[in-house]
Amino acid sequence: MTADVLIIGAGVSGLSCARALARAGKSVRVLERSRGVGGRCATRRIDGQPVDHGVAFLHGRSPGFLEAVRAVRATRIEGWPSIVRGEGTPCQPRAFDPRESRVALREGISMFPKSLATGLDVTLDVNVTALQLDAAFGITVHADQCGEALMFRARDVVLALAGPQTEALLSTLPDCRPAETARALLALLPSFPCATLIAVYERSAGVPPWHMWYPESSSSVLLVAHDSSKRADPEHTVLVVQARPAWSRVELGRGESEWAALLLHDAAQLLGPWADRPITLSAQRWRHARVGAESELAAPLVLDLPRGCRIGVAGELCAPGGGVEAAWRSGEELARRLLDEV
Amino acid sequence: MDESKARLQAIVDRDTEHECSGFGKQGLCVRAVAVAELPTRFGDFRILAFWNNRDAKEHIAVVHGDVVGHEDVAIRVHSECLTGDALGSVRCDCRDQLEAALSRLGQLERGLLLYLRQEGRGIGLLNKIRAYSLQDGGLDTVEANLALGFRDDERDYAIAAHMLRSLDVRSVRVMTNNPNKLKQLQAYGIEVVGRIPHVLPPNEHNRFYLETKAKRSGHYIDFGGHPHLREQDDAVQVEGMPLDAPQELS
Repeated sequence: MTADVLIIGAGVSGLSCARALARAGKSVRVLERSRGVGGRCATRRIDGQPVDHGVAFLHGRSPGFLEAVRAVRATRIEGWPSIVRGEGTPCQPRAFDPRESRVALREGISMFPKSLATGLDVTLDVNVTALQLDAAFGITVHADQCGEALMFRARDVVLALAGPQTEALLSTLPDCRPAETARALLALLPSFPCATLIAVYERSAGVPPWHMWYPESSSSVLLVAHDSSKRADPEHTVLVVQARPAWSRVELGRGESEWAALLLHDAAQLLGPWADRPITLSAQRWRHARVGAESELAAPLVLDLPRGCRIGVAGELCAPGGGVEAAWRSGEELARRLLDEV
Repeated sequence: MDESKARLQAIVDRDTEHECSGFGKQGLCVRAVAVAELPTRFGDFRILAFWNNRDAKEHIAVVHGDVVGHEDVAIRVHSECLTGDALGSVRCDCRDQLEAALSRLGQLERGLLLYLRQEGRGIGLLNKIRAYSLQDGGLDTVEANLALGFRDDERDYAIAAHMLRSLDVRSVRVMTNNPNKLKQLQAYGIEVVGRIPHVLPPNEHNRFYLETKAKRSGHYIDFGGHPHLREQDDAVQVEGMPLDAPQELS
């Protein structure tokens, strides 16, 4: 199974890189570990109602990114969140810069990566376990799909993953100096976890008058997104609670029911007692939720390997500004570099 | 106030509400904000502080003699390097480069140094320390340095061009060992009449340039065993350096 370029990770950076390469006539294959595309641009359905349990809204200012967002076949809620409560720092402070466009999607944030993936060759449920340099075939990618071992080959491989995941895959290449340097670099750039709760309520229990709440005083709650305010005629009130990185780091080591109850309780301290009694509560652990603003790189990496093979590294980390826009830009930028050097 | 100082003050007064579409891809616009005398150990200068419209970095022109409205003004573009300029680090040549430039400019009738306050791009200082940290591990860091944002020359020269325009410098002679830099300024509409080679006097910290030939990779390894980062956009030239030394250092 060969392609000009193999892309590992169907998050926004991997998909934007794949699109840019495909546009230039390259044959591209995208491998994704999970059951759907989008990575942290994730939406699940609860009683048919979409819930964004990762990225809550898109924001950006570069013309290319905004154009990609406008191309999504979904109902855009321009300016969401327009009613913001609390004086806490948003996870990306520049999201609320006047030059920044903000938008949520009525049908769920995952419509954005789905739109990027349209027309691309994406294989889901493929867990890449190792990379290998091969004299004849270039880079061999070892993977498994539902317990079945698979092998893919390409001269160029793009790792569009969270930093620690990229680091782990690079460590499977033995005696490879460029990979060693890249691993040492990635090791200097931490990623932050995020414990996330999805709390579902009867409409009668409460409908908050705000879209997002960034509390300044809570030691656990980073933000509360009023998710159902993005939906047309929602059946339930749905809140998504994201925990602060330091709190997440500690609590994710415990049992899920334990931290979920703690975080819900802390959120109810802010929101009112009604919020402590959801009809359903689910939890999501984002192991690599975000990168620190002090840890971003200026550009993606291209590692030159023997026999003309290359490994590209893209991701939110690999472009300035942070967030989905940075991920998108890093993919585009990496494609440009891979194409220029062909 | 003498006439040349008055001319600088007039630029500050003129610039109070200056706003233009800017230079370069990012539309960088600077305006002169304040001017003062700056006697230094390298000669008598005046310092002119610029504000810019893109980030909080405040850029500086260090001016010797009367430059406003003049032609054939010697200039040097220096990019801030906290570790070298201020702390005297010998992991780079920035301090040597800065001192040599100011000494030479101070001896001329007129000249100016544009001191650009940015380490790398955006979060440069942190990433420079990260680059050093990787070098300490003995790694070849060329690709890593690129990702760490090691210098955005294009941006530097957009700012430099705007500062020269603000100062009404009619044409310049650039102190540099990299002829490409002349083209960059010209691309922004600055008239360049020539180049002054920027040659450093040899000292105990840069003697390795004379004693060691460049390694095959194009890196210079200094006496401390560190490869030298290219922090200024110039190749280093030390008096007596062999001519076949590479012009570009990574």
